[in-house]
Amino acid sequence: METFNNFLGGTAALFGDPMGVLIFFGGVIGGMLFGAIPGVSMLTLAAILLPFTAHLSAEHGIMLFSVIYCTGVYGGAITAILFNIPGAPENAPTAFDGYPMTLQGKAGKAVGAAVMCSAIGGVVSCIIMMIATAPIADWAISAFGPPEIFALVFFGLAVAASVGAKTFWKGWLSIMIGLMIAVVGLDPVGGIERYNFDMPYLAAGIHFIPTILGFFAVSEIFVQAEKKATGSYTAPKLSVDFPTFKELWAHKIAVVRSIIIGFFCGILPGIGATLAAFMGYNEAARWSKDRMEFGKGKLEGVISSETANNAATGAAMIPLLALGLPGGALTAMMVGVFQMHDMEPGPLVFINSPDLVWVVFAAMFFANVSILLVGFLEAKTIVNLLRIPFQFLAPMILLLATVGAYAVRGLTIDVVVMFVAGVAGFFLRRSGYSVAGIVLGLILGKIGEQTFAQAMQMLHFEFTGFFNRPIALGLLIAGALTILGSIYGAFFKKQPVPASDN
Amino acid sequence: MNFKKYFVKSSVAVAVVAAATFSAGAALAECASDALPGEMAKPDGYPARALTMVVPYGPAGGSGQVAQAMAKAVSDLTGVSINRDHKPGGSGTVGMTAYMATPADGYTVLEHIDDAASAHALDSGRPNPSEALIPLVTSQITFSQIYIRTDEDRYTDWASFVDWVKAQDGKATIANVSKEGSMERVTMKFITDATGMQIQQISFDKGAPRYGALAGGQVDALFEQPGDVRKFLDAGKFKPILTILKEAPEAFADVPSLTDAGLDFEPLLRFRGFYVKAGTPDDRVAWLQWAFQKAFCEDSYQQYNESKFMNLIDSFRDTDGSKELITSTIAQYRDVYKQMGLEIK
Repeated sequence: METFNNFLGGTAALFGDPMGVLIFFGGVIGGMLFGAIPGVSMLTLAAILLPFTAHLSAEHGIMLFSVIYCTGVYGGAITAILFNIPGAPENAPTAFDGYPMTLQGKAGKAVGAAVMCSAIGGVVSCIIMMIATAPIADWAISAFGPPEIFALVFFGLAVAASVGAKTFWKGWLSIMIGLMIAVVGLDPVGGIERYNFDMPYLAAGIHFIPTILGFFAVSEIFVQAEKKATGSYTAPKLSVDFPTFKELWAHKIAVVRSIIIGFFCGILPGIGATLAAFMGYNEAARWSKDRMEFGKGKLEGVISSETANNAATGAAMIPLLALGLPGGALTAMMVGVFQMHDMEPGPLVFINSPDLVWVVFAAMFFANVSILLVGFLEAKTIVNLLRIPFQFLAPMILLLATVGAYAVRGLTIDVVVMFVAGVAGFFLRRSGYSVAGIVLGLILGKIGEQTFAQAMQMLHFEFTGFFNRPIALGLLIAGALTILGSIYGAFFKKQPVPASDN
Repeated sequence: MNFKKYFVKSSVAVAVVAAATFSAGAALAECASDALPGEMAKPDGYPARALTMVVPYGPAGGSGQVAQAMAKAVSDLTGVSINRDHKPGGSGTVGMTAYMATPADGYTVLEHIDDAASAHALDSGRPNPSEALIPLVTSQITFSQIYIRTDEDRYTDWASFVDWVKAQDGKATIANVSKEGSMERVTMKFITDATGMQIQQISFDKGAPRYGALAGGQVDALFEQPGDVRKFLDAGKFKPILTILKEAPEAFADVPSLTDAGLDFEPLLRFRGFYVKAGTPDDRVAWLQWAFQKAFCEDSYQQYNESKFMNLIDSFRDTDGSKELITSTIAQYRDVYKQMGLEIK
């Protein structure tokens, strides 16, 4: 009851203040737009706005960022679905099925599902956040140390190997390529330079954003350009048919599963929405009867990915607000907003600034609700981008992707990496490898290597130490069984039908 | 939100605020660069456009924040805008390399930390910040501490911690940034050599998982600078058990210093400062030195430094002071690296 009263108080404070309302809707629309423009993301908007938050009150500044977070994660799904360009890494799995749906003339259904599921995932995670922030945060950091996070990553990779590639072996090879790219740069523990060929810029490692832009956006333009040149190009059919309630209800289990996965990944410091989306998608594929249909334009793929990444938004606020531990780039910027107002997120915020906390909670709740309202309106409009002929759209996408790749770190090498990934992706996709697997290997490889090294240090370099940690052991066993199961399938079952080249 | 009001509810914080206020008063009364003139004519119209500040770390970390605070203070003082260009990666190497490729015209300045000095100490091919660059100001100097959880009952202070660690036979753990040759690893070597204890260092390169590891009980202790864990100190979650300075500053008077703990080594400091490329015209350097040193005493910057515990020891060095600090730091690291058997290029 007290929670509900606090929520009402936060809502009243949010909508009773004209400036607050203005900032709220500015954040909702800004997050969606920046999320939806290929090449830029909610992080770009947040970085631009960060210095200006000094002129806002602490409540308004933090509320603005949390609203951008919720709607930006959704906004990135639009370009993933329409153009195979994930607005952010957490939208990458949305493209696996969303883009094939667009090619099949079902863009409206995919976008509609993204709107609905983002809102559902976000709202549920907001409610859990409001009810139990402090105990969940404490549990997450005591139960999940580096060994558990490594085991989670291992499990994630084991499952991912079966997604998107033509064969089991190509799936694993794709993951391995990603893992190899992940080791370029400084080693995460000793800081020793590896595979950078004495190039100082490569010492910073290969960033996953230019890699994603290359593998997804640039290679897709090459694929379409080839079709255009060979006369086999057909423009994607425009559709604004949103999914029916019945269609969505059929995937209720996938939604619930993705909420649980998304929320769980979101509360782990340093993990965040990207792993949530990949895990949500992988688990949906794993438990589905039509597993081989994933990657070819299955609505459930979009649903599971978008539910999970928005479910992670509320969850990521838990370690941030309760402990002052940001889970990803945007929550780290929120720490900056707090500090600009001489505050630190953490336990004291609940004691000293309960009003602020509840305004932020209410704003996040309503931001997710407004994804439904504003999102549908935006989706109806933005789907019309598909009317632009390919020869005009492709250069625009390339330009925006180039800007997006450069903007991450202000390094020209990131643009080079994007184009190299684009060319490599073009050939790898033709050969039945999974670019999604490569990207996942890259993202999880960095987290996995670091947590494995930390786990080994903690366990005194004895691998058997994992056996004394039940959660880690459980995840490792589940991962190993998954691998064994897929090896069995690869040898003893009929080879799967080739999946889409996505 | 008012800074003092924010801390007033915590009993630990009251003492902190008192100490901070005292120092702030002292700082305002005799701030390091007060003697500099309030205005300085622009040499031949320089700067005619906005400056760029290369920051070799992300916007949310300590370097990103100090860059923002200093850029604001300089802009407020001079009316010249400063755009921050974050180039994170490679422990500051990427930003430094990118900066060294810019023209020496005074329009691009660099923020960097003591890692630039230790990197040069290990590999003389890396730029020496006191020669390849001209330090404009060092605006943050701080020290490290060892922290434990406040509710820890296996040990409660430095002496009991050392005893407990020794009894674990090398199985005790401490979270830090234990990269090869880093300030943290070198300091931990000093401590373990001096106490005879063996402790496993767990390397976390990002702050959040590092602090989470101590808060969640994944590690037994944490090596960090007080400004970075201030929220945990004010919330009563962490407590310092050793200050890695010869003498404890007033705000941590009840925490043993190296001298109190009987540890005899020269502590390494963490420092952050601002630089311009060597070869920049002298009149432009002089104007930048004035702007950055004077900005250190701007209220907004002083307030920021206080909030980060950067006022507990003298945080200011002008150009000559910075060169001295960098040169002595490089010499100190070289000595230690030789003792550690590291290959110095």
